[in-house]
Amino acid sequence: MTRALMACRCLIILVFLGLMTGCWDRKEMDDLALVMASGLDITDDGQLEITLQIALPTGIPSAVQAGGSGKKSVIVISAKGSNASEATGRLQQQLSRVIYFGHRGVIVIGEECARHGLNQVLDTYTRLPESRYNGYVVTAYGSTAKEILNEPYQLELIPGIGINKIQSSKVSFAVKMDEFLNALSSQGRSPVTAAIRIIHQGTDRETFSIDRAAVYQGNKLSGFLAPAELKLLRWWMGGTQQMRFTLQLEPEDEQYKGTIGVELMQSGKKIHTSVRNEIPEVWVNFHAAVRVIDNDTSLDFSRSNNMRLLETELSKQIQTEIQSMLAHVQKKLKSDIFGIGEEIHIEHPYVWKKIRNKWTDIYPVVPVTADVNIKIKRMGKTQAPAHLRKTD
Amino acid sequence: MKAKKGVSDPFEKKLKELDYAIESKISDKLDDNESVINQLFANCSDFVVRRLHIFGSIPSMVVYFDVLVDNQLWDIGFLEPLMLHESVSIDSPLQLYEQLKFKLASIVQPQIALNMNEIVQRIVKGEVVLFVESFTQAFSFRLKDKLYRQLEEPTSEAVIRGPQYGFIEKLDINLALIRHRIRTPLLKTEKLCVGGLSQTDVAIVYIEHIAQQSVVEEVKKRISSIDMDSILESGYIEELISDHPNSPFPVIQSTQRPDLVSGSLVEGKVVLLIDGSPMVLVLPISFWFGFQTAEDYYMNFIYATMLRWLRYLFAFFAIALPSLYIAVTTFHHEMIPTSLALSLAAAREVVPFPAIVEALIMETTFEALREAGVRLPRPVGQTISIVGALVIGQAAVQAGIISAPQIIIVSITGISSFLIPNPGMSQAISIMRFPLMLFAASFGLYGVVVSLIAVLIHLVNMNSFGVPYMTPIAPFSFSGLADALFRAPWRMLLRRHHHTKQRLE
Repeated sequence: MTRALMACRCLIILVFLGLMTGCWDRKEMDDLALVMASGLDITDDGQLEITLQIALPTGIPSAVQAGGSGKKSVIVISAKGSNASEATGRLQQQLSRVIYFGHRGVIVIGEECARHGLNQVLDTYTRLPESRYNGYVVTAYGSTAKEILNEPYQLELIPGIGINKIQSSKVSFAVKMDEFLNALSSQGRSPVTAAIRIIHQGTDRETFSIDRAAVYQGNKLSGFLAPAELKLLRWWMGGTQQMRFTLQLEPEDEQYKGTIGVELMQSGKKIHTSVRNEIPEVWVNFHAAVRVIDNDTSLDFSRSNNMRLLETELSKQIQTEIQSMLAHVQKKLKSDIFGIGEEIHIEHPYVWKKIRNKWTDIYPVVPVTADVNIKIKRMGKTQAPAHLRKTD
Repeated sequence: MKAKKGVSDPFEKKLKELDYAIESKISDKLDDNESVINQLFANCSDFVVRRLHIFGSIPSMVVYFDVLVDNQLWDIGFLEPLMLHESVSIDSPLQLYEQLKFKLASIVQPQIALNMNEIVQRIVKGEVVLFVESFTQAFSFRLKDKLYRQLEEPTSEAVIRGPQYGFIEKLDINLALIRHRIRTPLLKTEKLCVGGLSQTDVAIVYIEHIAQQSVVEEVKKRISSIDMDSILESGYIEELISDHPNSPFPVIQSTQRPDLVSGSLVEGKVVLLIDGSPMVLVLPISFWFGFQTAEDYYMNFIYATMLRWLRYLFAFFAIALPSLYIAVTTFHHEMIPTSLALSLAAAREVVPFPAIVEALIMETTFEALREAGVRLPRPVGQTISIVGALVIGQAAVQAGIISAPQIIIVSITGISSFLIPNPGMSQAISIMRFPLMLFAASFGLYGVVVSLIAVLIHLVNMNSFGVPYMTPIAPFSFSGLADALFRAPWRMLLRRHHHTKQRLE
């Protein structure tokens, strides 16, 4: 047999081998229902309700289809089922296109569902090979996921992308699916997510806002952190971009309010742990360099004693805030969202082995001391407040 | 002359008759010679047999092809000196030869032909043959018509900076163009004659001691073993002597630029000039040679390096962009950024075909337009380009046959294939695109990668006259990178040339 004939035969066999498998997973873009966001809720009768926000490509105006702007850009559908796969199957029956999770950027967990616990629900999503781990997990605050996903959003055509963009900006507190699952599976850490809520904007226009954090204990939601606490949590987690604090330095006067506004520039924290009689003890040292951006007091900060006063007062105030936040999370919510258990695991592995099974009981009584050290690095353009000059 | 494959029987018989006639000796009678000649060149209306007396009284006969002889040269350079001179007594052919040399010294040199075979060869090559009564030797003169066009800018390889003329069809002129640039006796030009009927001259040009002698010998061997009736263009030779005639990738570079050829000669390459073809063959070459232009060496080396990288990048686009697009849009949707995925899905919404069919339609249309653009007469070409642009750009999208992103992919691919300077390489890459697209449509990125690996295996397996095709990448040679990945500054390249020289010696 000549080489050419041999090559021909091999080629034919190859082609038929490829065709005979019958498992072509070829899907055209226009055969897919691109899920932008999905939501999990639990109904009153204990069934799971899944909501999907599916993009409508024709509703997205492009140069080619100039007339498409009047159409809706998403559809939101939901279905109930005893588990996630059953609900997804029902959703698929309503759709002419294959549900595709590859572009899902957000999972919204309804408050009820979160309080009920969500281990088994997430499993269905995380097992899907096409599901991305870099989607964000958010928890609905005071509403169901279905309501959140039905909210319009003005800046983006697709609300799901809106949530995703808010989350991926450094200013927001965001937890990705893999981080969430890591925390969920870890003994020394509890999951925490951003919390999304419906707000009324303007007259009667509704939209959503992310200004809280949802704290889990194990797989169950145990409570929410207030916006001020969220800020400190962000500092703990390592992101302080555009973070601002306001301090009441002087009592309010006729001429001025007596407040100082600062913005964090460089910041960080250090954790130290020690163990005495199997009871760990934790010290956290927060430090930051700040810039004064707002001075509504009678003080001139070009004087060093005023600066030192501000530094100590600011440190003191933030320290109290952190202590109260820690107390809230530790004593009331009993959730180790800071990963203190992991820290002890790293620093005292032998102790951890003994205490890890009792950690949920030990954690609320672990003394955690916060220490804040603020340095003022920049004063802005003006040294003394402008209104002081006039009075002089 | 032996019988060739595919030649009809009567033709073979005629050839045998001719062979017999040609083998005859030159007679001392002009009449006998005339009848033999007339028999050989029967029915050739452009063939001239003329009786005349030279040097006053010597009866003789000239035979030649009217169309191959320069008329002015014939009149002034040949007839005038021979016929208007006073009579000279001639006793022997040698004496006549001396006289001819003396009288015609300014223009043409006579050559002595001893048998009919030689005479026929010379006549068909455009020489004038002079028979003289009572001599059994004939004389031939080269009065060839200078049938050639002016030197012009090579249309296929235009440069902004650099010499603005290219090779033409005439072999002698092409040789002169090289000799004008490389003025050394080491530049050797050996001529071979191939093609049973066409009798095409092929010149093997190389610089002694720089070119590898084994390559020269191999080329000579391959050319002389060519068994064809006609060699009409360098493309014939290219295919016949190629190491890999079945591969789409060229192992021999064809170029129209004397500067590029001269540069290659200095680098130790062997060059083949084929009479009647403006394309000159350069060998051996490596894969990377297909991405180099003569101009690379005339401009700033930084810019030239950037251009080379641009060519490599776009060569990759030319071979793989449509298949990557197909693979990503039909198998790996998660790889597309979300907003792009949405607009792709929106654009695909109205299109009835799967991406592979779309791509095949557009790629085929593009290749057809390209071919039409080359074939069509220039005034019509304009029309085609406008219609083509409309068909590709607007109408197909608006009609909902093809999606807009696909048009972008096809246009980028089309432009990419024009970025590759060597037309052979460009064609090879255009061809490889299609199997890659089919593999992408069947197996996704896996198919693209596997077929790219297959192409790579093929390339690495190839060699050109003993030189591995992928040098200097495989086998790796660090110093070779200076002229393949980069265009290093001259001071570094010269050193490389020096090394090449030493190694080859």
